[in-house]
Amino acid sequence: MVFKNNNSKNEKGEMVRKKERLANVSITKKDKVRIFGQEGNPIGTRRVANMRVVSYLPFIFVIALFIILGLFIPHFLTIRNISNILLQATPLGLMAIGISVVLIGGGIDLSIPSLMGLSGVFGAIFMKNGGNPFLVALIMLAVCILGGCINGFAVGYLKMVPFIVTFSMMTVAMGAALWITKGVSMGVPRVFIDTILAKIWGIPVVVIALIILTAVATLLMRKSLYGRWLYAVGVNVEASRVAGIPVKRVIFSTYVISGLFAGLAAIVITARLGAGAATIGREGVILDVISSAVVGGVSILGGMGNALGAVIGAIIITLISNIMNLSHVSYYLTLVVKGFIVIAIVAINSFRMK
Amino acid sequence: MTETFLRTIGISKSFPGVQALNNVSIEFFPGEVLSIVGTNGAGKTTFMNVLGGIVQADKGEIYIEGKLVEINNPLDAEKYGIAFVHQETSLFPYMSIIDNMCISSFPNRIGFIDYKLAKERCESTLRRLGCNFNPRAKIQDLCPGDQQIVEIARALLGEHRLIIFDEPTSSLSIREKTRLFEVIKSLKKEGISIIFITHLLHEIFEVADRLIAFRNGEIAGGGIIENITYKDVISLMIGEKETDSFFGHRTLKVVGDPALEVESLSRRGVLDNINFTLHKGEVLGIWGLLGSGRTELARALVGLDPIDKGRIKINQNGTIKAIRHRDAKKWIGIITENRRKDGLLLPMSVKTNISLASLRKLISRVWPLIDTKLETELSKKLVNRLDIKITSLERQVATLSGGNQQKVILAKWLLRNPLIYIMDEPTRGLSVEARSEVDRIIGELVDSGAAILIISSDIDELMNVSGRYLVMRRGRIVAEFQAEASKSDLIAAAAGDSHKEVC
Repeated sequence: MVFKNNNSKNEKGEMVRKKERLANVSITKKDKVRIFGQEGNPIGTRRVANMRVVSYLPFIFVIALFIILGLFIPHFLTIRNISNILLQATPLGLMAIGISVVLIGGGIDLSIPSLMGLSGVFGAIFMKNGGNPFLVALIMLAVCILGGCINGFAVGYLKMVPFIVTFSMMTVAMGAALWITKGVSMGVPRVFIDTILAKIWGIPVVVIALIILTAVATLLMRKSLYGRWLYAVGVNVEASRVAGIPVKRVIFSTYVISGLFAGLAAIVITARLGAGAATIGREGVILDVISSAVVGGVSILGGMGNALGAVIGAIIITLISNIMNLSHVSYYLTLVVKGFIVIAIVAINSFRMK
Repeated sequence: MTETFLRTIGISKSFPGVQALNNVSIEFFPGEVLSIVGTNGAGKTTFMNVLGGIVQADKGEIYIEGKLVEINNPLDAEKYGIAFVHQETSLFPYMSIIDNMCISSFPNRIGFIDYKLAKERCESTLRRLGCNFNPRAKIQDLCPGDQQIVEIARALLGEHRLIIFDEPTSSLSIREKTRLFEVIKSLKKEGISIIFITHLLHEIFEVADRLIAFRNGEIAGGGIIENITYKDVISLMIGEKETDSFFGHRTLKVVGDPALEVESLSRRGVLDNINFTLHKGEVLGIWGLLGSGRTELARALVGLDPIDKGRIKINQNGTIKAIRHRDAKKWIGIITENRRKDGLLLPMSVKTNISLASLRKLISRVWPLIDTKLETELSKKLVNRLDIKITSLERQVATLSGGNQQKVILAKWLLRNPLIYIMDEPTRGLSVEARSEVDRIIGELVDSGAAILIISSDIDELMNVSGRYLVMRRGRIVAEFQAEASKSDLIAAAAGDSHKEVC
């Protein structure tokens, strides 16, 4: 055996030398070689990239954006203004955390904004009928979590395609919300608004909550058992199964978590608008949610990014929307621009990883 | 002898880490059935893929009727009259038999398919094979044997000069098989060259005129069938010298208590009543041809595939107890056949991959989070122990060589430290050095009392490490051998002795 190996090695050496002599022909031919399912197949290798540097990009971008805006707009860099921007960005930031969990786990959830809209409508109805605002807040969470459970069960256990499942859920939730309200928005009581929008030392409680949730989610993603499972499942379901990870449960849970964050976003946005309305979950919002995650470095292919990035992405998207709004750019044109931003970032990512 | 139809000169082809073909020159004559044999990985399939245009050779020339040709894709092969009946059917399940048979050559009038003509052609070809299926039936409604027939019929449909049959009989019934052999004989009379690949050696003596044996990507020998015996074929396939295992101590080792007992494990159509016991400190080698059910057995044992029947018992602290099938992963570590597909998280770091199966153990005592310091420490230990050549634990596994990747997978299971390891092709695609290192690690594991079930297509390697063998064929365990068994014993048992073959 040992002999044989030496022989084959020598032959290989000779082969290489011969090959060098025949360089032109053999190399061009080799380039054309297509191997089906063989060893050299670079499955997944295109996602190999320098994650470190990339994960700082959204940070740098958001700071640069603040500085530039600070130079041009008076009173921009005041605590009051910044906390205002953060308050505006909070619902989107919460949804971005939710979708980052689903995206890292290798799925997608298009139903987040419409579940949020439906939840807002439910909340408004219950409060109108005299429900305790805190109890109602729990109901609002429950509505979204229930939607997430259905999504998660269909994707995780029934192995349905996430795009189709959550797209249908989006239609169901939005349809239900519009049907219940007949498209009219319904006001909520002052006490609810005041509680949710309360401030501590001039900073809205919900902004503080967002910061804490972001930190906790990011830490759990990095260091908890569940977090590790999440990334593993997002990168390679099969390998995760082989390693003994409860894949179905992990996938199921990602949609439940995104439902939970949709519910949190619903509470904040209902308070901010002072009303529950089906239209808060309109089509443009899901674009913002996905843009936030993608801008923040979460890969739509799964297994990459974190909650902090997604929230920073949400702040960037909110700023861009604001700037365009203030410059009197049409809302419709804003959609066009934001759509292109997502395409551009995904394109940059896929080129960079090739 | 008659003029050659096709001649290859010096065909060579290498895949990363393997020289699949080395300087293969063969002549094919019209009206002759040439049988090509060889163990798994001998290069048969690669050679056929070169002829069929599925893979391009690195070097070498192909002449057809004396003219130098280039076969760059399956369409080229079709153009030169080469048809390929694949081992695994490559049919479109939702389409009809007609669509499948005519897909590359629909008779048409200004772009519209002439279904009437197509149907006639298909029917006559199918009749020739002794079948009268409705050609409008959908492929998915046919049983595997009938699908194989359609695959064969497709090759017969065109004006072909050379037909390659790659294990065409694997899912055929005896009746269909006889019919196929008759068709092959009639094709021969028409002057068509035929290449017939099979693992069932007695079939060669039924249909072939000439035989060529491949070994390690080279031609090991061959000749006219009349002058060859069954024994000759086996010795051509495995080489002259019966190399014995040089890890002699494996055979002398005293094995311990049973670690795993499998009782009448069955999965419909895949595994049939599997019974065996695996002991602590033992390496049990499973030998069988591709498709014999060896990988399926491994996957079923750890619960990656479902089972219909059977019990798995595992030694838990000294007592052997039946376990629930879905819990099998708790005690058994599995190194799967395809490390890139289901073994590794390619874009992740070495450390993440090593800790993947043992995360529960790494949870800190202080709070319910992973103790990254401990993780780094343990990973580092394993990297040193297995001699994984990396500069940093953060290195992405996708950038490592095959050998180091395989060691990362081994490290993953070593950290988990299960009682039982199942290794499916643990050294596939590795360099010679990496192979021997993996074998060394297997040796260390066994010495420490682990029970190992190993599957390998490389009989030399299998014999190097195993202390006992089970031979599988068609989803059943057909033979058991002790360490003293010879290579030809194993190969003959896997190929099925012609006398014992159950019809």
